[in-house]
Amino acid sequence: MEERIDALLIELYRLTGNLILDYFLGTFLLALLAVVVGEFTISLVFKINKAHLDKLHARVEKMRRLSAEALRLGDEEAYRACNKEGNNAFGHLFFNKFGLSAASLWPIFLALAWMQKRFAEIFLPVPFVGWEVNYVAFFILCYIPARILFGRMKRRLPYFRGIHQILSSYERKEPDQIFEANRKVGEGACGSISKRFPFRLIDRWKTR
Amino acid sequence: MRKKRFFKKGALVVLLLSFAFSLAMLFTAIAQEKPAGEQPQVVGDTLGLPGKLGEAVSKTPVGTEKGYIDPNAPRGAFGIPGAPQVNYVLAIIWAVWVGWIFSTVGAFGGIMAGVGHITVFGLGDYARTFKETSSSLNKTLTDSIRTSNQFLVGLSSLLSTINYLKAKRLAWPLGIALGLGSIAGAVFIPILTGGKISFKQYQGWFGVFVFVVGAVLIYEMTPSGQASKKAAKQATQTFEKSVKEKKDLASQGVTLKEFGITKSTFTFFGVDFHFNPIWAFVGGLVIAAISSFIGVGGGFLYVPYLTSIVGAPMYVVAGTSAMAVFVSMLTSIAGYITVAKAGMDWSLIGIELIGIFVGSMIGPRTQKYIPDKWLKILFIVLAIYVGIGYFSKGFFGTAWVPM
Repeated sequence: MEERIDALLIELYRLTGNLILDYFLGTFLLALLAVVVGEFTISLVFKINKAHLDKLHARVEKMRRLSAEALRLGDEEAYRACNKEGNNAFGHLFFNKFGLSAASLWPIFLALAWMQKRFAEIFLPVPFVGWEVNYVAFFILCYIPARILFGRMKRRLPYFRGIHQILSSYERKEPDQIFEANRKVGEGACGSISKRFPFRLIDRWKTR
Repeated sequence: MRKKRFFKKGALVVLLLSFAFSLAMLFTAIAQEKPAGEQPQVVGDTLGLPGKLGEAVSKTPVGTEKGYIDPNAPRGAFGIPGAPQVNYVLAIIWAVWVGWIFSTVGAFGGIMAGVGHITVFGLGDYARTFKETSSSLNKTLTDSIRTSNQFLVGLSSLLSTINYLKAKRLAWPLGIALGLGSIAGAVFIPILTGGKISFKQYQGWFGVFVFVVGAVLIYEMTPSGQASKKAAKQATQTFEKSVKEKKDLASQGVTLKEFGITKSTFTFFGVDFHFNPIWAFVGGLVIAAISSFIGVGGGFLYVPYLTSIVGAPMYVVAGTSAMAVFVSMLTSIAGYITVAKAGMDWSLIGIELIGIFVGSMIGPRTQKYIPDKWLKILFIVLAIYVGIGYFSKGFFGTAWVPM
């Protein structure tokens, strides 16, 4: 299996016959492949966990909104309480998004593992400064434009176009519609107490 | 008023203790520097391994016993001949567990990721075998383990940062001061301690860190901790009932009013928030230093710091802490890889990330079947067990509990 993948990936580095150009082009295509696989995985995770993420997001937004309102009204006690609940809710969302980050980024590390076997000894000189770029830095340099390129392309690609539309509408919904959706599902004022790693420090009121 | 002063003092004590902790870690690193003793017949070749890992392997004595390298042995973790072969099925199962914790309990997932690298995959015990025979390999492997930990836990901030950047929910003056401090902390630690901390010392400090996390979890279970949480929930519910929905609040956002070295001001919903950028810098530096040394993300330290010492509102804390974690994580990892030249097992990290996203999908679906109280008790027991085990093994050479 490993040999088949190796044979397939190395073909990306044999497109033009020019060693330098092939290294540039092959790494860019490898990075693009990592982006596509990562985006596909993140779309699956997002589809499966959307309801849960929506709920967490709505709770954070609600606390943010309430703390802002308390601030506007000069209610110190309510501001501190909402801020504290908001921190708990945010922490929960923060760690849940780790799952999304992992879903998007895992192909990068497998690509790097493959490059390490093939190109660990290759260092490209950077003109004028005398530095050398190894395979990790070069892959990252290729990954960024590959991600930007795919970001523009996905609106035209069949499966990713649908996902992009869902995500766009999801972003447009915030925060009011998610807040409303949350109200409709009948959550309590602050939802359940967060299961996240707790913080016990009371917020400091520092407005004047 | 008295309560407020108490928490203010408490937060300052926490910061000072953190600072003392960072200094102790640095002194440990400096005290570790000893001239290398004479070595018998050594490998004499990097065996194709990159950076300091290759250099350290080349200086390690040849042999088949523990603490020696047999160049003909099959390659294991980090590509080293004879190193433990990490079972990828076990790695995925452990990572699912880590992802499950991340999505249900939160920061404790970072500790479990570290336990996976140190104990479950056997990398810690392997690094320990080189304590007498090749201290450079022992220290290089320690750097590789903590960098691997940081990859797993620090990535949590990536998507959050992008989202908050898009939503323009970052308080730039505060973010810049905190971010610069974070970069400084995350640069200094790899430079000062990279290649200088033995695995034994690292494990001991990791144990201390787990104890601190366990203590916070225990406090959360006490009547005082429960009362504090209940009071905040009650106050929020009461306030919510008393206000009507206001539209277009988000559009007002954060506006910078004044930026100075010792006093800066941003406006949030017409209210001025003052903060001292020097304190934000110092906080970022200390938190990033601890995170970088132990190999954690640090998000759970930035959030209480920003709310308690800097006094920032939730709207600002969310994005700013995510950015600080991301910046310090990126700097620290780059520092370990480029300055300390830590070797990485990319396949292992990729495989673990697959397990983590699977675990984070399972977490929300199974969480409802396990009462919150039982989850906390489970992690308190784990924290005490792991804390005692690592602390004793690291600082006293023998584990006081079976591990």
